[in-house]
Amino acid sequence: MTFWRRATPPREATPHPVPVEQPVPHELGAAPHGQEEIGKDGEPRRTPLRPLAQILWARNEGQNPDGIAQANLTKRNAAIADRSRTRAQGRLFMLGIGFFCAFSMIGLRMGHLAASDPVAPRASFSGANIDSTRADIVDRHGRLLATNLPTHSLYAQPHHMIEPEKAAAALAEIFPDLNAAKLKEQFTGARKFVWIKRTLSPEQMQAVHDIGEPGLLFGPREMRLYPNGALAAHILGGTSFGAEGVHSAEVIGIAGIEKALDARLRDPAQAGDPLRLSLDLTVQSTFEQVLHGGMVLMNAKGAAGVLMDAHTGEIVAMASLPDFDPNDRPAALTSGDASDSPLFNRAVQGLYELGSTFKPFAAAQALELGLVNAQTPIDTTSPLVWGKFKIRDFRNYGPSLSLTDVIVKSSNTGTARLARDIGGVRQRAFLDALGLLDPVPIELVEAGSARPQFAERWSEIHTFTISYGHGISSSPLHLAAAYAPLVNGGHKVTPTLVQRSRAAPIPAGAQVLRPEVSRAVTDMMAQVVERGTARFAQVEGYPVAGKTGTAEKPLSRGGGYHEDKVIASFAAGFPADDVRYVLVVALDEPVETSGEEPRRTAGWTAVPVAAEIVRRTAPLMGLLPEIDVEAPPGLIRTSN
Amino acid sequence: MSYLEYNIRTVPTGLRKILYLNYPIILLLVTIASIGFLMLYSVAGGTLQPWAEPQIKRFGLGLAVMLFVAMVPIYVWRNVAGLGYLVSLVLLVAVEVVGVTGMGAQRWIDLGFMRLQPSELTKITVVMLLAAYYDWLPIEKTSRPLWVAIPVMIILVPMALVFLQPDLGTALLLGIGGAIVMFAAGVHWAYFATVIASGAGLVFAVLTSRGTSWQILKDYQYARIDTFLNPSADPLGAGYHITQSKIALGSGGWTGRGFMQGTQSRLNFLPEKHTDFIFTTLAEEFGFVGAISLLILYLLLIVFCVVSALQNRDRFSSLLILGIAGSFFLFFAVNMSMVMGMAPVVGVPLPLVSYGGSAMLVLMVAFGLVQSAHVHRPRRKLA
Repeated sequence: MTFWRRATPPREATPHPVPVEQPVPHELGAAPHGQEEIGKDGEPRRTPLRPLAQILWARNEGQNPDGIAQANLTKRNAAIADRSRTRAQGRLFMLGIGFFCAFSMIGLRMGHLAASDPVAPRASFSGANIDSTRADIVDRHGRLLATNLPTHSLYAQPHHMIEPEKAAAALAEIFPDLNAAKLKEQFTGARKFVWIKRTLSPEQMQAVHDIGEPGLLFGPREMRLYPNGALAAHILGGTSFGAEGVHSAEVIGIAGIEKALDARLRDPAQAGDPLRLSLDLTVQSTFEQVLHGGMVLMNAKGAAGVLMDAHTGEIVAMASLPDFDPNDRPAALTSGDASDSPLFNRAVQGLYELGSTFKPFAAAQALELGLVNAQTPIDTTSPLVWGKFKIRDFRNYGPSLSLTDVIVKSSNTGTARLARDIGGVRQRAFLDALGLLDPVPIELVEAGSARPQFAERWSEIHTFTISYGHGISSSPLHLAAAYAPLVNGGHKVTPTLVQRSRAAPIPAGAQVLRPEVSRAVTDMMAQVVERGTARFAQVEGYPVAGKTGTAEKPLSRGGGYHEDKVIASFAAGFPADDVRYVLVVALDEPVETSGEEPRRTAGWTAVPVAAEIVRRTAPLMGLLPEIDVEAPPGLIRTSN
Repeated sequence: MSYLEYNIRTVPTGLRKILYLNYPIILLLVTIASIGFLMLYSVAGGTLQPWAEPQIKRFGLGLAVMLFVAMVPIYVWRNVAGLGYLVSLVLLVAVEVVGVTGMGAQRWIDLGFMRLQPSELTKITVVMLLAAYYDWLPIEKTSRPLWVAIPVMIILVPMALVFLQPDLGTALLLGIGGAIVMFAAGVHWAYFATVIASGAGLVFAVLTSRGTSWQILKDYQYARIDTFLNPSADPLGAGYHITQSKIALGSGGWTGRGFMQGTQSRLNFLPEKHTDFIFTTLAEEFGFVGAISLLILYLLLIVFCVVSALQNRDRFSSLLILGIAGSFFLFFAVNMSMVMGMAPVVGVPLPLVSYGGSAMLVLMVAFGLVQSAHVHRPRRKLA
């Protein structure tokens, strides 16, 4: 077969010699018109192209036998063609049915879609909705502490921009913190997407609208709003955006209760159910105000305070100063001491040697163990020498003081000798039972890392120093929690920020002190206020029972203490005759300068601040003042 | 059926051939292309640029090419079928090496004046070679396994190359187009039944292999399958095209919003609005009436092709016409089904209407072949 053929040469038309003499008797009667015979196997049997009889006949007649062969070939090909044509028509018919079905389906679908109502495009934007709203946070009376504000984010699609340079300039005018040159670079570069602002105010949004640039686009955002600003900042903590998309962004807690209870706040099932805190907004506000005033007045660099329900452990107010605005959370410090940042929560994270405020623990344990009673004379010979250490009192109190006076006058030597009688093992077990050796399990992420620091060895000298609050660092919140059993009748409390429902009140904690011991310790502390180191804590109408503590701050390089830098603290319960609340106030490096020489002791610094707090908050909490009513001169009888 | 039995001298010669062209087909082509121009004009917001004017020029060029192809005797095309097939295979391999990657797949060779998409060319050359093969093959051998294996290889090799680009849609269309020629040539139906059954098995394997270490398709291809099965699951992502085009079709209603009044397509809701999804513009602006009219025009084109194939007693010619008509049918059927959510989104343009150079040109060459077969058909039986 040649490559280039114009027409196929007749395949079997080539004449070939036929054995003339060979008789083929059975083919003589072959069908004259080439009609096909069907063989046994169903295949058409081929009609011979050159039937011998016809060829011989043609030769005899002098005709060209090739013509016969040609004619037969044509007939055969026609027959084959007819067969294939029939088959091809069948195939075409089937193809036609297939085409027709496809046409009908497409046509029907067109009709169906044409008849359908156009679905509003908005309906398909289900992804645009913010999936679940973060629950609000409210105070114990339902007043708002944290909520959400729908707002918008701003982003750009530079490839849709018409005038990128103009848009960059206009944006820089609306947002002074943006750099026009940098925006222009971003808008004219290869980037297809640029975030510009995470949240916008409505005014800013309108201004951006007014630029009229189609490449500037807004995405819905839900923003966490703290309507009271800095109030309770450390408790609330703060939020940030998690996974951010164009159509929504996740709001996640990054500090404080927002982070600690993030799962609860984000739980879609409880989205409409605000988180109710134990805080009282009014008390918290007053508390912070007074604490701030005290910090300024006492020239302190920081202040912390805890006001807690003595029986349930519910925190009514808690503050750490300086504070911050959670709506505009400052960046964390990258260098220096983390405790210098306003983000640092001194009340929870600040671990301080709290000094003499620990003394009532030793007294309480000695009473609980029956070693002493309130009047037992305690050896207060100063100094108390233990090895190379000498323990001295602030001033020499003579050879002995009653147990009450050891607390009232705050004798280090007397407390240390009490602790010696108690012994290190029992002391440690008691402090542990009060929760002073572990982080406070409160609903704040920061609390988890505030593990009290003390010498693991707990030798006898540690027993001595720990009894008067040195050699152990704990937070003001620890102290408040540990003070509760001293004043509430002796049961342990666990501080909490979440208000429990009335149906499920907080179960009373383990009894760590007998009620009469608790009563006795409260009385001792009441005398501290009456005639001891905390006389400034006398508040008219609200008797206070408390203990001061002035601890020198350890040198940051270790191995000693600052002479002029103290942590002044005051831990108290009030009202003294039936304690309802525990209050702890701690001032960081206070100096009271109204006198001839600077005074740093707690009695001059922390105590007046605490007194002012009691004076201002007690009425807010519904405590009735005790007024000494003079006995009426006589009864006037009347009759009706 | 070959030339053997017919008198070639009855075929018109020279410029007289122009008189014997199949004018209904030309008229239909021009009408459909004009609808395309209108749509491109509308999509561009009432301007000839950037799409309508180049498309008109290309269609003009395509008409000239079609006439040229039609003037050349059909046996010439039959004789170069093998060569054309080889050239298209070489181009398919070349596109793997030097091709330009577009939309995640390697499909083009930049020739400078146009971007050649060898897979488009392959659609014609495969049909041509198959038609020539069955013309050459004695009819009684058609269904013998060895003689079936050869055309299967002819189809599978370019299919595999296109599949590797990767362009699953075109590969499948190529295979089905070839199968139509084989079917029309009379290959025993049992072969087709086997292929369909194993195809179903393959689909099963593809779906079960998802996420395993022997995953057969790419993730985006699975995404398209998912979108097809449930377009509303991801209306802003992979299902976006379908959702938006259904909205467009629905908003068109029965009579449409009127020319240049479409919102879905003109307001940029639809990506690829000028190429694969141009049908939505038509359906929105002219409604059901416009859409069904276009469908009827396509149907008429197919009918005229089939009639021409039936009239033609030359086996190569009739198989070629049927193959081209079948491929053409597949294109618009798949495109319309895809736009209306009846088929997965595979990158198949609407023939003659969608904006695109090489597809248009290749299509006009194909209809040139149809015309050539029509003009040069054997007229009269030798006695």
